[in-house]
Amino acid sequence: MSWSEFIYFAAGSLILWYNGTLALYKSKNALWGNLLIAGGILLFAAFIGLLWASMDHPPLRTMGETRLWYSLFIVLVGYATYLRWKYKWLMAYSVVVSTVFVLVNLLKPEIHTTNLMPALQSIWFVPHVTVYILSYAMMGAATIAALIALWREEGKEGELFALIDNLIFIGFGFLIAGMLMGAIWAKEAWGDYWTWDPKEVWAFITAASYLVYLHASYANIPKRKALLIIPLAFIMLIITWLGVEYLAVAQESIHSY
Amino acid sequence: MAGKSKGKQETFIRELLFILAVTIAGFALQFVIGTLDFAIFAWPVNIVLAALLLALAFIKPDSAAGKFGSGRVSVILLVSITVMSIYMGLVPGNDVKHSWPFAFTYLMIMANLALTIGRRMRNFKLKRDYSFMLNHFGLFLLLVAAGPGSADMHRYFIRVAEGQTEWRGEGEGSQTPKELPLAITLNDFSMEEYSPRIALIDKATGETQPSGKPSLIDCVEGTEGIIAGWSVAVDTFEYRPRMAPRAYITATRKAGNSVLSGWVSCGNHFQPFSVLDVSEKLCFAMTFPEPKKFSSDVIVYTKSGVEKKGVVEVNKPLTAGSWKVYQYSYDTRAGRDSEISVFELVYDPWIIPVYAGIILVMLGSLTLFWRGGKKE
Ligand code: HEM
Repeated sequence: MSWSEFIYFAAGSLILWYNGTLALYKSKNALWGNLLIAGGILLFAAFIGLLWASMDHPPLRTMGETRLWYSLFIVLVGYATYLRWKYKWLMAYSVVVSTVFVLVNLLKPEIHTTNLMPALQSIWFVPHVTVYILSYAMMGAATIAALIALWREEGKEGELFALIDNLIFIGFGFLIAGMLMGAIWAKEAWGDYWTWDPKEVWAFITAASYLVYLHASYANIPKRKALLIIPLAFIMLIITWLGVEYLAVAQESIHSY
Repeated sequence: MAGKSKGKQETFIRELLFILAVTIAGFALQFVIGTLDFAIFAWPVNIVLAALLLALAFIKPDSAAGKFGSGRVSVILLVSITVMSIYMGLVPGNDVKHSWPFAFTYLMIMANLALTIGRRMRNFKLKRDYSFMLNHFGLFLLLVAAGPGSADMHRYFIRVAEGQTEWRGEGEGSQTPKELPLAITLNDFSMEEYSPRIALIDKATGETQPSGKPSLIDCVEGTEGIIAGWSVAVDTFEYRPRMAPRAYITATRKAGNSVLSGWVSCGNHFQPFSVLDVSEKLCFAMTFPEPKKFSSDVIVYTKSGVEKKGVVEVNKPLTAGSWKVYQYSYDTRAGRDSEISVFELVYDPWIIPVYAGIILVMLGSLTLFWRGGKKE
């Protein structure tokens, strides 16, 4: 098995995943969707297994190889979350993200051609960044849901409270996981897991803001008032993601390359 | 009912005032003493502090001190540390992370966590509390080990020439070499580089063309590409040891039928660079090759007699006893011909509890996927 066969396995898996997700939306019986998605996962995992068997080490060394795992894991996480919470859109979303990574692997197998500096060449790079992006997507969805709930009259929020809390809890899980993977990576690359570098400071602010929301009910903050924390926290998130390099403190950052 | 909620209001205000008082005391200390010297937490102070914090878990939850472990208090503290961090993230050159008010808030958070863990332990039900415990105990462990624990961290920088053994290094921010508990023999330093690239440059500003959307061509023999209307071919590329890389290129302008050719080189510490002039304003030049990977083949000796052979690379430190050896730098003027390697040595005795805390919180974050926003 080698990378030249990747396209057949990847195309097969993606076709199964797209049709499976479509079946979840269209068909009353979830069985077909489940079968197709599980089939896609098995097919993709089979490629990794065969590739692994044909090399003398696990395929985890190059960027292309880590993207391979990510393409599979994102669908696994999306599917597991779907099974638990029945959010079809999350399943659809994870298949789209997986497609992006499969395409990158097909069109640009080695990211090294774009002069990746040595510190970025780590197995933590891909999971750290992608888990964060996943979290950002869920927090974005939660922010929209919170604004809709605030827009509605009091008492008419319907199912929104439960949806918002699920999104924030799951999104926060990803946020913390991304942050901790970043800490492990920083230890490997620079000898220290946390240095209060500007990007880290803002990641901390973001996480702490969401923690205020998670604990708000204990301070007797009414639910609707607590919802206001969500857009505020999202502003912090946007600053962390896109804004840090424009701040005056950014000159002190090791995160801007 | 009204009386009960009034009582709650009173505790809330008392807690708020307490936190405010501690924070103000922090500011006062900051004024009088100045920046907090983290070294005061060095062993055994940090372990005593950790034990005292853990002892808080045995305090009765209904006592005045025990109430400090409430969810209300956690919200006040989280808001407070967020505000301080926003200042840290906005104002250049601040030293909030080494300030007394910040340290006191951090301390109160650890106390709040210890108290709330203690309360949950009193009637622990695995199914109900596992998520809470993973998150809060993991975080507690992480905060203790990464906060006061980090005062025991030592880091040094050490420069070693190929074929030599070195045991003297410099501490952080100090220039005076001192003897270290570790020696390193450098057998070999080696480096891989990305190909240098050909660029069209504005001589006055140094900007690569086309401006705003520069295009560059990899210096690999036989490569061709287009830069701002010029078709550029790399005819030969030479890169010998100790010599600067150089390439013979031919550039053809499609409109106007002009052809230019000649040698370009980025130069190095000993040799001047050379460019191929296009006009008064523009020239073709070569960029410096960027490092792709650098590593050192070393033997590390510790005072306790551990001897460890291995290769140290960026992102792949070598562990010897409680020390980790990181590839830090090299003689950047010599680039891949460097015969010197610079290492960072880190001694971090609390790294195990830090990783344990990280793993617990990671497991805790997995429980969040499963449980979602469901309240117990
Ligand atoms: C990884 C980060 C954290 C997560 C995921 C988290 C999550 C939670 C959750 C879900 C609860 C509610 C549990 C329940 O409903 O019974 C809770 C309670 C609580 N949390 Fe956190 N928390 C985190 C960090 C913190 C921090 C930093 C503090 C301290 C400042 C804190 C203090 C508390 C307190 C005091 C309670 C109330 C416990 C009780 O009254 O039984 N938590 N937390």
